[in-house]
Parts: sequence; structure tokens; C-alpha cells
Amino acid sequence: MFDFYGNRKYFFAFSGLILVACIIALIVHQGLNLDIQFAGGTIIEFQMKDANIDLNKASEVAKAATGKNVSAQTSYSLNADNNNERIDLLVLNISSSLSDEEHEKVMAAIKENFAVREDAEITTRHVDPAMGKELAAKSILAVIIAAILMVIYVWIRFKIMGGLLAGLASVIALLHDVMVMIALYAITDLPVNDSFVAAVLTIVGYSINDTIVIFDRIRENSTLLRKEPLATITNKSISQSISRTINTALTTIMCVLVVYIFAAYNNIESIKNFALPMLVGLVSGTYSTIFIASPVWVMMKERQAKRQAASKPAKA
Amino acid sequence: MKGNYGIKSLLLILIIGLLTYMSIAGLSIPGTEIDVKKVSENIRFGIDIRGGVRAVLTAPSDVHPTDEQMEAAKQVVENRLDYQKVYDRTVLLEKTNKRIIVEIPWRQDEKDFDPRKAVNELGMTAQLTFREVDASKVDENGNYLPLDDKIILKGDDVVKAAPEADPSTGKVYVSLKLSSEGAKKFEEATGRLVGQPIAIFMDEQLISAPNVREKISGDSAVIDIGISDTNLATQEATELANTINAGALPFKLEAIQIESISPILGKSALNVILMAGLVACILVGLFMLLYYRLPGIIADIALLFQIVTQVLVISGVGMSLTLAGIAGIILTIGMGVDANVIIYERIKEEIKSGKTIRAAIDVGFERAFTAIFDGNITTLITAVVLYMLGSGSIQSFAFTLGLGVLLNFITAIVISRTFLRAVSGFKITKNRWLYGVRGGNSNV
Repeated sequence: MFDFYGNRKYFFAFSGLILVACIIALIVHQGLNLDIQFAGGTIIEFQMKDANIDLNKASEVAKAATGKNVSAQTSYSLNADNNNERIDLLVLNISSSLSDEEHEKVMAAIKENFAVREDAEITTRHVDPAMGKELAAKSILAVIIAAILMVIYVWIRFKIMGGLLAGLASVIALLHDVMVMIALYAITDLPVNDSFVAAVLTIVGYSINDTIVIFDRIRENSTLLRKEPLATITNKSISQSISRTINTALTTIMCVLVVYIFAAYNNIESIKNFALPMLVGLVSGTYSTIFIASPVWVMMKERQAKRQAASKPAKA
Repeated sequence: MKGNYGIKSLLLILIIGLLTYMSIAGLSIPGTEIDVKKVSENIRFGIDIRGGVRAVLTAPSDVHPTDEQMEAAKQVVENRLDYQKVYDRTVLLEKTNKRIIVEIPWRQDEKDFDPRKAVNELGMTAQLTFREVDASKVDENGNYLPLDDKIILKGDDVVKAAPEADPSTGKVYVSLKLSSEGAKKFEEATGRLVGQPIAIFMDEQLISAPNVREKISGDSAVIDIGISDTNLATQEATELANTINAGALPFKLEAIQIESISPILGKSALNVILMAGLVACILVGLFMLLYYRLPGIIADIALLFQIVTQVLVISGVGMSLTLAGIAGIILTIGMGVDANVIIYERIKEEIKSGKTIRAAIDVGFERAFTAIFDGNITTLITAVVLYMLGSGSIQSFAFTLGLGVLLNFITAIVISRTFLRAVSGFKITKNRWLYGVRGGNSNV
């Protein structure tokens, strides 16, 4: 049997390394790259006749029309209605919101200077900065509320494991997973949007679910093997449920991976933005379930036992 | 041994078969209330798939509208969309945030559609007028046309409109309270137009054209609804009152968020994600089959039930399904087999520890129950939090996730259990290999 508890320092060190990388990346990139959904701003997507787009010119033209900072990018999509014909896109990303007049000007300017497909609909997204801020605050609130509810639930259901301690241990694993997902976005500088928040919350649910199955085993084994030390019970419980942990992770990861591959191949941003953090979160969730949650719980429980043992003679 | 469970299993297979049939072909039994439309026709896709505009409208930041004013503003938006014949739309009022969320699908016939302009038009200050009409000037539907030189009252002449009911007769009407200047103008006009209609217009659109019964003096007036059904009349009166109030609204609605998605890109995305879903389904199904063998088949049947029911419910409640929502369904396909995995792993363990297959199945289900229960509740909590705090696309995801988790629980506890018990009664199924356990027959 593998000694999950005994080798904990390696796992903790590994996760610590990711944390350090995350912090460095956050400092280097000056925080997370917020999508316009949170930061506010305007994105306009033009369907172009061909891929021959001068990006410098595009951003110059747009800048002249709006007087605002514009970054231009190319992208593409496949038209399912027409033999997966490739549609080239010119994407303008404007950091502040535009007035109606500015909006009209930039549309006209691009249509005049570039080969925009006729009769093609133009995709726009416009978010007011105040609305973005509120959405960001709400998203953080959602994660916090979910985490608190989890602690309370585990506390009530896992009394035999010291209730609150079990709840805290599972939340530490959960925060670990959120940290890994943030690290991904901090390092790659991908834009954070509400799909990311949804992915984080899903992983919050998944990670707890995963942890609970092992805790359930510890709960069962604690009554069966009362004489054994905690570390042994925990190691045993992890080993007993490991094939379940891995199989469930496998089927779930398989699904999300398929979605990601399809979305990446067809370049569908919205789905990619959703599947990628989920994928990383699933791997992290499985890892933290096995290598973080239970060892942390044992450590906290043993420290509590020591403290109680130390305080008893003092009372007597 | 197997009797009871055998019959139950057959029944379950029938139900699953029926549900699958219903979702593919629909089901309609003449003479009964049963009329389930096939999913592919009935399901409502979100704006991100159909293409269209989603806008969040709110009052300018220096205006603090009341709930009633927001209701009125929503009515303005509804009326304007009616006028443009955009019926396939969603208009939601978020009272807490004082926001109106509008979703309009893309119109096929419109080539040069400017979503921003369309949204701005929706939010313009409403122009309410009471006008004299000319019976000879009507449009093709026989509705009175607005005549610019025949305006009796404007929006700001009306202080307040409210739906009310006569306490003795129960008759529903809209009561109007007019400003002193409005009352003067109204008295003059009603005196002149007894027996003739006065039409109420919102912008250019005719809302209602009640007949004047008598000269109205003073600052209050009444518009009879003239529908005997109380519920219908109340609804009508509320709408009319909201519309009239909207005409007195001192603010326009501003778009703080506009999203417009091209239907071509949306449709491509839908195809891709459906394909991904199918592949994911097949992979998970194969995995369960190869790894767990006999119980794997049962898990696959249970999975079919889960997906079919999920899709039927979503199509039935009319919730719009977004790309994120479909991703939620695919995710629950992966997570959905979790309960079965927990149970089967437990059963395998029990078989290895020397129990008979039958006993192992019983004990396996029993011992796996708490883990499945606690695990699913926590995921459900996340789904609920997401649904409460999320918006649009995320709500759709939360809904499919929550639904998937619930169904997963039901399938594992009811369907898998019944099937497994039924098949374990046969002699041939006593082989341990069938349960993914290495070596020999079980000690029956």
C-alpha cells in the first residue's frame, strides 16, 4: 500500500510550486487579464472576405475613428451551413465603452477600408464598466458562498471525522483547485470571463464530491478499525477508493477533453474558454482529493489530539 | 429469486424506450392531454446559438426608478417589440438590480441590421398620446392611424394609471389620474366626443381605443376593459395601466450590455458541441462496458435514461439552452456515471472479499449510498448557487448541471439497482468475470 500520508511533503511541495508560479505570473502580468465582461469595453467582430488583413492598419483606422485605444486581432470560424467553409474574422478590442456615434464611425471606417463580407452579420459585445465590476463581485461572492455551504455541509455530515476539521480540510483542497485554475490563467494571460467562473464553481462542486467519497470511506473505516492510527486508516481509505476516484475522473475528463478538442479544432472561443479551465480543474481536483485533502485532515486531527493531550494534565 | 425485479426491470426498459422514442419522434395521443413535441423541434436555443441580440437595459445612473416604473418600462419594451412583430423574444425584469434583459433572435429577412440601434430604439423615452381618430384613416388591419394634429393628452398629462376592480360588481377597469392641465383638456375633448372613440397610442402604435360614454370632469377617469373573464381582464388592465404609466416615464433606458451573435457562427458552434457530446457519450459508454462488463451495460442504459430525461425536461420547461448549457449536459454525462462507478467498485470489493454476487450487490449498494448521497448534494449546492447568482448563459449551465446530478442519483439508486438484482438471479450471470473481477466463479 502506498503511503499517501507519509509522502505528503512531496505533494505539498509540488502544490506550493504551482502557488509560487501563480504569484510570480500575477506580479509579472499585473494581475489577471480580465475579459470585457468584467473590465467593461467593446469587442467588434467583422466577417472578412479573406485572411489578408493588415492588423496595424486596422487598429490605426479604428483608433482614428474612435480616438480610443484599439487592439486588432484575426480569428476564424467554420461555417457549418456551407461545407465548413472558413470564415476569417477581424476582431477589434476596445478597452472602454463607445458612444453610439463612435460605434457607427468605427463600423463605417472598417467597412470602407477593408474587405468585409457583404450581408454578413457583425458580432458585437459591449459591456459597461460598472456592470462588469458588479458581475466580477458577484462571481467572487458565488465562489465564497459555495465554499461556506460546503464547509457547513461536511461539518454536519462528517461529525465522526471531527466535523469542522473535515470541512476545513475539504475546503483547503477546494481552494487548492481554484488556485491551480487561477494559476493557469495567470501564467497564460488568458482573459477571465464568466465561463471561467462557471468552470471554477463546477470544479468546486466536483472537488468536494471527490473528496467526500474518500472521507466517506474514512468515516466508515474509523468505526471499523478503531485501534489503527489515523494515518493508516487514511492510507487504507484512499487505496480502497482510488479506482473509483480515477475512473470517475477518467470519464469526466474524457468528456471535457472531447469538448475541448472539438472546440479547439473549430476555433469556438466560448466553448474553449469553458472547457480548458474545467479540464485543468478536473485534474487538479482529482490530485487534491488524493494527495491534499486527506493528509491535511490527518495533520489537523493529530495536532488537535496533541493539544488536547497537552491540556488534559494541566486541568487535572 | 429474480421474479419481482425481472418484472420491474422490464417495466423500466419500457419506460426508457418510451422516453427515448418521445424525445426523438414526439408523442401525441389524440383525445388526451398528452402532446409531447419532439425535442429537436421544441427545444429553445439561447441567443448564442440562434444568433441575435441580448441586451441589458437600465435607467441612467442619476435616476432611481421605483418597481412600478420598471414594470412600466418593461411594458414599453414589450409593446415596441410587438409593434415590430418580434414575438419570439424574452424580456425579463430584474427588480433587485432595476434591469431589463432583452433577448431578440436574429431576423432572417433583415440584411443591414444594427443591433445597437435596435436596442437604443427599444430604450427610448416612450411617447404616449391620447388622440382623436378619424374612422376613415385606418391601416390594413382596421386599426386607427395616429393623427398628429389631433392630440388630446400627452404622457405627462397623466399622473398615474392603475388597474382596479369594482368591489361590488367585480368589473375590472383602469383608473386614470390626470394633472390639472390634463383634466381641463380631457374635459373639453370628452364633452365633444361623447359616443366616439379616443385612441391611446404608444409611439406610433395603437394600444386601445375606448369609446367616450359621457363628458368627464375632474382629475380622474376610468377605462373599462370590457372583458367578462376576471383573470383575462385583470391581465389586460395591468398591461394597459403599465403602458400608460410608461408614457409618463421621465427616463429612457440605456444599454449597459449588448451582445450580438451572428447566427452562422452560432449554428456552427451548435453542430460542433453536439458532435462533441455524441463522441463523449460513446467514449463513456464504451469505457463502462469494457471496464465493468455486465454492470457496465446497465450503467449505459441508465445513462441513456439520464440524457433522454434531461433533454426532455429542458425542452419541456422551455428553458433556453445555451452552449454552456450543452457543455453542462456533456459534463454530467461524465459525472453521471460516477454513482455507478462508486457502486460497482464497491460490489467488486465485496465479491473479492468472498461474498456471493447477490450479497455483494446488496451490500455494495447499501455501503455506496452515503458516498453518493453526500457527493451529489454538494454538487447540487454548487448548481443552486450558480443558478441564483449567475446570469443568462451560466444559469443554463447551472440548470443542466443540477438536473443531471439529480437524475444521476435516481438512475443509480433505482434503475441500476433493479436491473442488477434482476440479472444476478440468472445462473449464467454468476460468473465473476462479468463483474470485472478476475478469476473463477463466485462462491454461490
